[in-house]
Amino acid sequence: MEYKGWDEFEIGAMLRSFDGAIDDIAGTAQADRKYSENNSYKASVADWRVLKPVFNKDYCIDCQFCWIFCPDVSIIARDKKMIGIDMDHCKGCGICVEVCPTNPKSLLMFLDHADSEAELAAWPEKDEEE
Amino acid sequence: MAFDKMELRDIEVWDGNHAAAQALRQCQVDVICAYPITPSTPIVEGYAQFKADNYIEGEYVLVESEHAAMSGCIGASAAGGRVATATSSQGLALMVETLYQAAGMRLPIILNIVNRALAAPLNVNGDHSDMYLCRDSGWIQFDAFSPQEAYDLNMIAFRVSEDHDVRIPSIINQDGFLTSHTAQGVHTITDDVVYNFVGTFKPMNDMLDFEHPVTHGVQTEEDWHFEHKARQHNDMMTVVPDKIENAFSDFEKLTGRKYNKVECYDMDGADIAIVCMGTSVETVREVVSEMRKDGLKVGVVGLRVVRPFPFAEIGDTLKDIKAVAALDRSAPGGAAGMLFNEISGSLFNTDSKMLLSGFIYGLGGRDLTKANIRDLYKELQANVDAGKVLTKQQQFIGVRGPKLAYL
Amino acid sequence: MSEIKKIKNLKDFSTSADRFEGANVLCPGCAHSIIVREILNATNDDLVLSASTGCLEVCTAVYPYTSWDASWIHIGFENCSTSIAGAESMYNALKTKGRLKQPDRNPKFIAFGGDGASYDIGLQWISGCMERNHNMMYVVLDNEVYANTGGQRSSSTPLGGSNTTTPAGTISYGEKQNKKDLMGIMAAHNIPYAAQVSPNKWKDLVKKVQKGFATEGAVFINAVSACTTEWKFEPKDTMLLSDLSTDSLVFPLYEVIDGRELNITYRPKNVVPVEEYLAAQGRFKHLFRDEYKHLIKEWQTRVDENWDYLNRREAARV
Ligand SMILES: Cc1ncc(C[n+]2csc(CCOP(=O)(O)OP(=O)(O)O)c2C)c(N)n1
Ligand code: SF4
Ligand code: SF4
Ligand code: SF4
Ligand SMILES: [Mg+2]
Repeated sequence: MEYKGWDEFEIGAMLRSFDGAIDDIAGTAQADRKYSENNSYKASVADWRVLKPVFNKDYCIDCQFCWIFCPDVSIIARDKKMIGIDMDHCKGCGICVEVCPTNPKSLLMFLDHADSEAELAAWPEKDEEE
Repeated sequence: MAFDKMELRDIEVWDGNHAAAQALRQCQVDVICAYPITPSTPIVEGYAQFKADNYIEGEYVLVESEHAAMSGCIGASAAGGRVATATSSQGLALMVETLYQAAGMRLPIILNIVNRALAAPLNVNGDHSDMYLCRDSGWIQFDAFSPQEAYDLNMIAFRVSEDHDVRIPSIINQDGFLTSHTAQGVHTITDDVVYNFVGTFKPMNDMLDFEHPVTHGVQTEEDWHFEHKARQHNDMMTVVPDKIENAFSDFEKLTGRKYNKVECYDMDGADIAIVCMGTSVETVREVVSEMRKDGLKVGVVGLRVVRPFPFAEIGDTLKDIKAVAALDRSAPGGAAGMLFNEISGSLFNTDSKMLLSGFIYGLGGRDLTKANIRDLYKELQANVDAGKVLTKQQQFIGVRGPKLAYL
Repeated sequence: MSEIKKIKNLKDFSTSADRFEGANVLCPGCAHSIIVREILNATNDDLVLSASTGCLEVCTAVYPYTSWDASWIHIGFENCSTSIAGAESMYNALKTKGRLKQPDRNPKFIAFGGDGASYDIGLQWISGCMERNHNMMYVVLDNEVYANTGGQRSSSTPLGGSNTTTPAGTISYGEKQNKKDLMGIMAAHNIPYAAQVSPNKWKDLVKKVQKGFATEGAVFINAVSACTTEWKFEPKDTMLLSDLSTDSLVFPLYEVIDGRELNITYRPKNVVPVEEYLAAQGRFKHLFRDEYKHLIKEWQTRVDENWDYLNRREAARV
């Protein structure tokens, strides 16, 4: 964000989460909220990642383990379904992959610059030893 | 349960502590978090009695330390309501971290400091060490010289601090014991008139507005911190002075009692003057009126507003005075006294030829005697006659042992 | 009293709209945020939050960004308890005076402090808030170290850990003291509710937090927070470490009601040896040297004794 001069911000270094009024925050999905420019939701930590998770919905059972244990609010769940990863906020920690219970896993880590389509096409088979 | 209003006589005999507690009651403070310490304890106790007798509708939180008192005040103030507390000396020292935080977060809290020395050695009596301890904390600081002023300045402070253009906390100082425990006649204002003067608190960036969530107390590093601190100082220097002036003038319209950032007594045609704070102003005034009867051109200046320091007003008041004594009631710790420094700053780089000498006095409640004051004026007159300061620039008065003088 | 949010299973839970945002600057894999998410998502009521100086605070409110979708305040290292108690007092005052902007809401007041902020520097402030029984929840994010300032010991740091102020060296095995029993201290305030939680046992956590929200008065929650940076394990293993801490009984999950009634809320089917818990973390690596192996035994004995004590307390119903 642009730097501001001393006369250009609100006093007390106070920040607002949203633009305007929001009546029921807990009842408003992130996509429908009017975040202010000061909300970190508007920022990205994508450049932190060395590895990235890739999601293969073919094996996903929508258990939501990845949703609950993702530290960075980056697993997007809609109507009890896992629908994808928020790549602006994912830091690539790999927790979601570790907690994913399917076999083969529905989430795997790859280098951040890997081609996700290619990785999905070459997804590993079921691990019989498990 | 509705709370009760209190019937007051036009003039009540109150000490400074009781006057402050009454003012807090009348301003209908929403939350007070407090902790007792001599000599401000009676404010905390007095308020407790009001609460016990159903004169208080707000919350009264008896916390476990002064640090917690101000921490609770900060949380309460950020939540969005009128907040105040009181302390002294060691309690203030424990609170200092949070004073800077309250000011930086622009929370309009009112703090009554009943001035007392700082240990070691431990001492419960009045001096201005605690006032000086927090002089750079970013709070507006008023100084009351009497119980009446402690009463009035509380109301004025709420008016100034809570103004949305200001939102800077205020301290009201009064001298430990000499003001806080000395009963005098106080002209009262009725409960309704006081509350009308301060008004119902108008929230701003309040945490309890669930439709507008706010984040208070962020981290700023080298890329943002300076701008925020600059803003704080700018508002102190450019916004607060006029707001104080307006509040003083509105208060005068209401009560006829006129306050000034710099209070002048017998300064018309004065050649020499003493500048001081607290009850010393009253003592010096007595001496001055006696000396005036003898035809001596002496005057006294009392500092009503310590922060933001009234540079222009002090400069104006003193520019034609021939010799001035700055009286600092705090151990200077290896420097000139605060008043000496600020007065110098007010007149340096001007055409004023004023001769300034600094005095450290009254530490730990040591009396400033009338004889001390007469001697002081004599010294100033001698400086005028010689056209220069004949002594060292910093002297200690009223202390036993060989004379102490520096600079 | 507000309704308790119905969360039967994870699928239900996943319909929550988070009020804590990403692109904060906590380390990848930090358990602090997992705990915070689970707690905030346990209710739909409005929230008033505070945090003490520490990782959570310095990483989620770095100007010009905030990661909080609820009102939030930070003052200092020691006083997040009292700041939220102050806000709660203001809520009560404005309620009495009829000046609340949205009088129909049921806000929850929650303070988050690290173990340094809670076991050490802020203990007195928390004690005051608990004793006065403010209607608030105090949550410790217990990573057993001053993580934000680079890994100095706290009084929550367990025996034998190597920390920057109690490092292991040629003549030292690191931390010499055992972890302080903060749950015991808080329960001794006879507060209505105190509990230990761990983010891997999310259902247990949510249940306790909801119990806390439904409680009138002060609630204390101690949450173990596996710290990838200071415990020295890979970020992907945060939940593995959480599992190890609960399943080895190093961090037992229980609750204390009114300072008296103690209930163990999780009994691992297969108790994991403490050695496994220690071996998974770089901070205990040196304990596996021959001369310090006796400390691993000591660890196991202490954990067993504590578990035994909790069981006896539970059975005694006192
Ligand atoms: C009064 C004070 N003393 C010391 C510090 C320095 N300090 C800031 S955070 C911190 C450690 C925080 O540790 P903890 O509470 O355990 O939180 P964590 O970062 O581990 O989550 C310290 C020592 C401070 N900010 N204020
Ligand atoms: S890698 Fe980490 S941050 Fe990214 S989605 Fe998975 S759990 Fe979340
Ligand atoms: S953990 Fe795996 S199976 Fe479960 S919802 Fe996530 S991706 Fe799907
Ligand atoms: S140091 Fe530990 S507690 Fe702090 S942000 Fe990193 S993982 Fe989280
Ligand atoms: Mg910690």
